[in-house]
Amino acid sequence: MSEKLEIFNLGLKSGHSLKIKGKISNDTDSFSINLGCRSSDLAFHFNPRFNESVIVCNSKCSNAWQAEHRDDHLCFSRGSSVKIVIEMLEDKFQVKLPDGHEVEFPNRHCYSKIDYMSVKGGFKVTSFKLD
Amino acid sequence: MEQGLVVTQLDIQPGECIKVKGKILSDAKGFAVNVGKDSSTLLLHFNPRFDCHGDVNTIVCNSKQDGTWGEEDRKADFPFQHGDKTEICISFNETEATVKLPDAEFQFPNRLGMEKIEYLAVEGDFKVKAIKFSDQL
Repeated sequence: MSEKLEIFNLGLKSGHSLKIKGKISNDTDSFSINLGCRSSDLAFHFNPRFNESVIVCNSKCSNAWQAEHRDDHLCFSRGSSVKIVIEMLEDKFQVKLPDGHEVEFPNRHCYSKIDYMSVKGGFKVTSFKLD
Repeated sequence: MEQGLVVTQLDIQPGECIKVKGKILSDAKGFAVNVGKDSSTLLLHFNPRFDCHGDVNTIVCNSKQDGTWGEEDRKADFPFQHGDKTEICISFNETEATVKLPDAEFQFPNRLGMEKIEYLAVEGDFKVKAIKFSDQL
């Protein structure tokens, strides 16, 4: 997946949420939203894969992926506009999908603040908001 | 000024708009919104100064090429107040960049002839709440 968008000094703190709106490409196999402190250290990699009908979540430490977490509730489709809300808590990330389903992923490395975000693959960000 | 939010690898075309929503800190001395290719190549440095660099309630605009500032352009109007929530919309075309505020509008020439915006940075005493990229002004 090519690097699409990188954001630095995001300042997302635990107890707060990040709302991302965007459009999924018509011809994409997957996209990912990555939160952490840099591209090699991610607290949360959120990766819907259309070719496998699954959402893969993971974390990354010093460029090494950790254990994958898979959720087969893929409620997006290619070509659609979606809103994804990621709530950061002390112990986990909670993602609210467009149909109300929630995906949870543990805050394995005890991040209290997220300063880096990247969006890769077939997803064009139209807005993001910190709450 | 302290470096705030930075967004890279954008692809903003002429006619599209970047909307930055946020809050001016209650003790703000100044802040800036920069758009361009990267930190050393700026189409527009939009820098409202409440009280800094010897300026009081003045907007200073400039461009930057190869890390070197161009000629400053000072605006007479200063539609900002400490503690305000505001929305700054930046768009551009081949001749100029336009900054739209709730009660004012400013233009600045596209000196570098930039054809797309890939970089956005916010500096200083402004807390970003949301960023929106849209097709319409």
